[in-house]
Amino acid sequence: MKKLFTLALLACATVLLSAAQLNAQRTVSGVVTDAEGEALIGANILEKGTSNGTITDIDGSYSLTVSDGATLLFSYTGFTDQEMVVGNQSTIDIALAAGELLDEVVVTGYGTQKTREVTSSITSVKAEDFNKGNVNDVSQLLQGKVAGLVIARPGSNPNGDFSIRLRGLSSTGASTEPLVVIDGVLGGDLNSIEPQDIASIDVLKDGSAAAIYGTRGAAGVILVTTKRGVPGQTKVEYTGQLSMDVLDRAPDVLSADEYVAFGGGTDLGGDINWFDELTQTGQSHTHNLSLSGGTSSTTYRVSGNFRDVQGIAKTTGFDRFNLRANVTQKALNDRLKITANISSTTEDAGLGFDEAFRYATIFNPTTPFVRDENNASFSRWDGYYQQVLFDYYNPVAIIEQNVRERNTKTLATNIRGDYDFTDAFSVGVLYSSQRSNAVFSEFWDQNSFLTGENAGGQATKRDDESQDQLFRLEARYNTELSGNTELSFLAGYEYQDFEFSGFGATGGRFLTDAFQFNNLGAASDFNNGLGSVFSYKNTNKLISFFGRANLNFDDKFFVTASLRRDGSSRFGDENKWGLFPAVSAGADLVKVAGLSGFDQLKVRIGYGQTGQNVGQSLLALQRFGPTGNFFFNGEFVPSFGPVSNPNPDLKWERKTDLNFGIDFAVMDYKLTGSLDIYRSKTDDGIFLFNVPQPPNLFNQTNFNVAELENSGVELALNYNIGLGADKSWTVSFSAARQITPKLISLSDEARGVSIGGFIDGANLGSPGQNGTPLVRLQENADLGQLWGLVINEDKPVNDDGTWNFQDVDGDGVQDDISDRAVIGNGFPAWTLGLGNSLNLGNLDLNVFFRGVLGHDLINTFRAFYEAPGQISAYNILRTSGDIPNLVDQPQFSSRHVENASFLKLDNLTVGYTLDAGNLPSGMSKVRLFLTGQNLLTITGYSGVSPEPRLDDKSSSFRALAPGIDRRNEYFSSRTFTFGVNIGL
Amino acid sequence: MKKLKFSLKLSMLAVCLVAFMPACTNLEEEVFSEVTADNFFQTEAEFISALGAAYTSLYGYMGTTSLWAAQEVSSDEMVVPTRGPDWGDGGHWVRLHQQLWTAEDPTVGTTWNFLFGGVSATNRLIFQFEELQNPLTDPFIGELKALRAIYYLWLLDTFGNVPVVTSFADADPAPPTNSRSEVYAFVESELQAALPNVTSNVDGSTYGRVNQMVVQAALAKLYLNAEVYSGTPQWSKAAAACDAIINSGNYNLENDYFANFNVENSGSSEFILAIPYDAVFAGGNNIVMQTLSYLNQQSYNLAAQPWNGWCTLEEFYNSYEDTDLRKGQANTEEGPSPVRGNFLVGPQWDVSGKVRLQDDGTTASGIDPDGVPFTLRAEINELFPEAWREAGARNSKFEFQIGGQPNMNNDMPIFRYSDFILMKAEALWRMDPGSGEALALVNQIRTRAGVEPFAELSAENLLAERGREMFSELQRRTDLIRFGQFATASWFGKDVQPECKNLFPIPKSQTDANPNLVQNPCY
Repeated sequence: MKKLFTLALLACATVLLSAAQLNAQRTVSGVVTDAEGEALIGANILEKGTSNGTITDIDGSYSLTVSDGATLLFSYTGFTDQEMVVGNQSTIDIALAAGELLDEVVVTGYGTQKTREVTSSITSVKAEDFNKGNVNDVSQLLQGKVAGLVIARPGSNPNGDFSIRLRGLSSTGASTEPLVVIDGVLGGDLNSIEPQDIASIDVLKDGSAAAIYGTRGAAGVILVTTKRGVPGQTKVEYTGQLSMDVLDRAPDVLSADEYVAFGGGTDLGGDINWFDELTQTGQSHTHNLSLSGGTSSTTYRVSGNFRDVQGIAKTTGFDRFNLRANVTQKALNDRLKITANISSTTEDAGLGFDEAFRYATIFNPTTPFVRDENNASFSRWDGYYQQVLFDYYNPVAIIEQNVRERNTKTLATNIRGDYDFTDAFSVGVLYSSQRSNAVFSEFWDQNSFLTGENAGGQATKRDDESQDQLFRLEARYNTELSGNTELSFLAGYEYQDFEFSGFGATGGRFLTDAFQFNNLGAASDFNNGLGSVFSYKNTNKLISFFGRANLNFDDKFFVTASLRRDGSSRFGDENKWGLFPAVSAGADLVKVAGLSGFDQLKVRIGYGQTGQNVGQSLLALQRFGPTGNFFFNGEFVPSFGPVSNPNPDLKWERKTDLNFGIDFAVMDYKLTGSLDIYRSKTDDGIFLFNVPQPPNLFNQTNFNVAELENSGVELALNYNIGLGADKSWTVSFSAARQITPKLISLSDEARGVSIGGFIDGANLGSPGQNGTPLVRLQENADLGQLWGLVINEDKPVNDDGTWNFQDVDGDGVQDDISDRAVIGNGFPAWTLGLGNSLNLGNLDLNVFFRGVLGHDLINTFRAFYEAPGQISAYNILRTSGDIPNLVDQPQFSSRHVENASFLKLDNLTVGYTLDAGNLPSGMSKVRLFLTGQNLLTITGYSGVSPEPRLDDKSSSFRALAPGIDRRNEYFSSRTFTFGVNIGL
Repeated sequence: MKKLKFSLKLSMLAVCLVAFMPACTNLEEEVFSEVTADNFFQTEAEFISALGAAYTSLYGYMGTTSLWAAQEVSSDEMVVPTRGPDWGDGGHWVRLHQQLWTAEDPTVGTTWNFLFGGVSATNRLIFQFEELQNPLTDPFIGELKALRAIYYLWLLDTFGNVPVVTSFADADPAPPTNSRSEVYAFVESELQAALPNVTSNVDGSTYGRVNQMVVQAALAKLYLNAEVYSGTPQWSKAAAACDAIINSGNYNLENDYFANFNVENSGSSEFILAIPYDAVFAGGNNIVMQTLSYLNQQSYNLAAQPWNGWCTLEEFYNSYEDTDLRKGQANTEEGPSPVRGNFLVGPQWDVSGKVRLQDDGTTASGIDPDGVPFTLRAEINELFPEAWREAGARNSKFEFQIGGQPNMNNDMPIFRYSDFILMKAEALWRMDPGSGEALALVNQIRTRAGVEPFAELSAENLLAERGREMFSELQRRTDLIRFGQFATASWFGKDVQPECKNLFPIPKSQTDANPNLVQNPCY
């Protein structure tokens, strides 16, 4: 296959031939200003078709020697580009028109589009608007910036992933994460891009925009465009940052004195703050060095990025080095353009042990010592203080005695050729290869009370590899019909295959701890049969045909229609191919009706169908796997049996979506904004059902039956308050109101698939609260329903010390089964973002507030450790004091469900740019900045972090069980960063 | 000229496109590390390994919320109290003991899945081996049918009214419920039909598998409970089936009761059918985890910290005379008891037997009456919410291995010889309450246990003797029902319940998925 691609590439490249050029000189000078005559400093002037160029000085003036017959291209961020034929002129003064919205380009699926032509819901975020500070993850750049996109990571685990949800939840069993496209390559890894290398991120929000991505578009599409070199501007840039991470919030537990005073616990005589013992001030530094430039035919950008990041939990953090090179070469009279991108990332991460946070919460604060190596009673545990209790471990011992690491390597390369056969017709070919491998290593010391002691020391090593290759062929045709009607077409074929493989082993019972995970063969478990070894491999592929037509009628009316046909090997035999159509249209009422008062008023409407692929390979097949060992003639032989039911009808989830939007600009484009109203319906949602057994061989099967509904409104405003020549103040505001997703149906009578109206899941857990479902999925009701007993708020505890729950069904008896009700919802209703960007000459200030409102969280710390009686086993929360007379055991109820709405000062950056005159020679720019992240949170939530919990990894419901704040979670931090940005 | 060049380029482009279209529209799913129906079931070794799936299904017998819990915790011989924060689990353990279970409770669902998982596995294999028509595998068919009948025997006992499904290829997607008497008739005819088709060998080659004696044992169980299952007693048929076992000469009572329950109990002369549990190859027997206290990890150097859950009721513990060898002796302040018994009580010691375990933690010392020096008590203060951590005699019938794993090596008898001696005695006594043979059979068991023989038999002393002998072998619930002492009786933590509680509800997950299922009365 690979050979074929290479051949095809070569063939397609060699189809193309021919070239030429000419000469003579003159000098042109002048001043570049804005419409009001204010000088524009640093505006670009480029002789068209060459690398010859310059920039304006502090007075806005320039001077450039050009060839005869040259055309100058003037450009400046935020203004409309303008071309001037030099002719005989020696002075060209020019006033650029402000036109940010008009001619700004957004990235769309398989192409770009001028903002004014866009008829779908697309949000574009440029690098200057990204979140600043110690940002190690691309998702975080966007947090709060895109209305309708909820990005959340509850704690501040430097190795933790963000959950991203677009417009509610549109999937029941496929992937819920958006498709990531990096420089045109589908399925990119956000962790493999250095945030500093990104020029812009565009988010396709509605179906009409995302349908061109077919069976991967339903959760939205995030298009990342990396920075490129600019012809004529050789730039060397360095950005360095030093950051400090400090603990933000922790559960409010009793101190040693309070613990003793509370009574009921055992006073062991000491005084230890376990959070202090577990956490540190995380010190991080990052360095980014980039080199870019080019000529009219070649541009390049190379950057090296190094990050050494420490988390607030001791032993967590990572070192990451990333190298990226983007090169573009034009040839054949500029008709051929070859682009190559290479990105290599290596990362060594210390993962630490998130469970330590939970034990730090409950460990007795009067413990006499953390560790005493000379205390014989504790020599069994290397001197760490331990007590033999269920689920109770010294948190410091966990992180100090044991090791958990991950080493990752990612290499993403792609090459793309575009050839313009004529001005109207062009063809492009892309080949991309992405590979990554992650080696996970874990070691539990023989003297570690948690796990290690039981196993006599235990080590794990596993290697997971993933690779994919993508081949794409696209053809474009643009034509101008009568007068001002432009029509453009795109047609393409895409092939992508994925391979996942890996192996690993876990073994225990080592003679010595010296080997850690570096000599697994020394584990006796491999001799006594208790060790485990595995390897696996699975593949899948996607084949697609797609096409799109765009019509621009005199800049008044715009129509876009697209169609994609997607086939996936993961689909069952009966449903190998899906079709995903979309159409959208818009009209600029200013142009159409000559509306006054507006610079632009575009109304648009889009309809599209997108899909979400089956999340795993082989789900459609009847598979057999090892089912244990069978005692046959005196010895055990392996036994094989079915591990799944055949499922030939399995297919994608389908989302149909209607979006209505208005884009407007008033006051000379100073105030711009857009409003979107959407409604979507998901059909064929995948859900794992219990099936009758018999006749089925296996008791669960995935069926495409779920129906969901989402709707909402999004508003984005941007106000550019002019403050004069070199000053500016921009206020941006975004708000999204998401109506709680609805579960319409989770059954299909025709196929006899049903949940009987509802199904409960997401178990709370031990101790003592297994079999306590927290979430109810109910047909014809809201998704995200938190479900449980209802406390009597006025009097939570009866006089006899038992919980005072309400008799919900009014049958006169309070019981645990029938007296449960909906007691909250984990989905947020509102997301808000408010940014202020102030530029006062040398000084710049950026303030960003972010809010998420209307979601509830189950504070599981309270559900477990609030009952005063728990003090006999664990440290308890200070809120236990509210219910001193409770004798009952902890029991989850509405008492532990809290409104977690919050508003935070998420990002505050102050920058100072040194005067150009004061800089050492050779430097063109020096900017110093200070950033604070997560500075202030206003919330009524009493847990660690009020961020929405979008994915419950502890239960099979996952995204269907939002709103559960589990105990094994990394705490959140506050970050302060000092940075410097130097340009040469 | 230009036009020509253009179209030439175009056509070459078309060539590159067409060149790899056909290769790249193939969406067949490739399989690497798993097997599918296409590449499995080809060789003799694979046939045997396929047969294994019917037996490995049996390992679920002892699952924490499987048949084991359904038969034991619902009865008067075992209980899982809520010990402070532990074992509350949404109340389902308490409900199981109180007989207030719901159709959504885990034990109900797991037990159903375990039993019907076995039925499905056997149905599939019967179909496959019938298709195959291979002399090696033909004998498997009779064996599988008998095994299926045993799964149905348990379904008959626990859920009663269940669908009888015997076909695989053209199975009804939503099979209707059969009445309990129909299920009874099915099990009887299947076992009778299987008898000549299974091997008569009783040796290592049939250890853990179905042979003729196993079929007789299943028939004996079926007939002894026939009145409960079908409304018509079959005492003489029950006695005859027991006789087939007793008179076969294949089995005899071990001199030491505990030879049946040691770590190395494979091949006990009392085992008619046992599950060959193994720490490495055949995990599933976790009694050690379920019953022992966290601190007892040090008593046996266990490879995991036990869960401090299951124990016996004090009344049941006291139903043994102190001299009963099966009861054993409590530990003392001097050290662990030198004699093993069904129960572990008294002061607890580390593996050397010399160091007293100390619960110097915060928990027990505050609540448990014995405080810091760790002691297990037969007394259970309450079922919930704050049972002492030390409450309840622990189940030590199956020997705890020093250095043992969470999965025990002890095999689990399904049909054990002494059970059939007592069953024959009961059948004879039912037909003739004055039967001397019956009395002699029961006294055979009592004598081995080191207790005085009975002078006469009664419903009470027969039921109690069965309880003492068969403790922790999944017989108690069935026995109590047969003696009319299950739902309608009361004991510690459990009130009188309507008689319909003698059957479990059909799990909600199943009635949701199959509208043709009929829920049992009571639910």
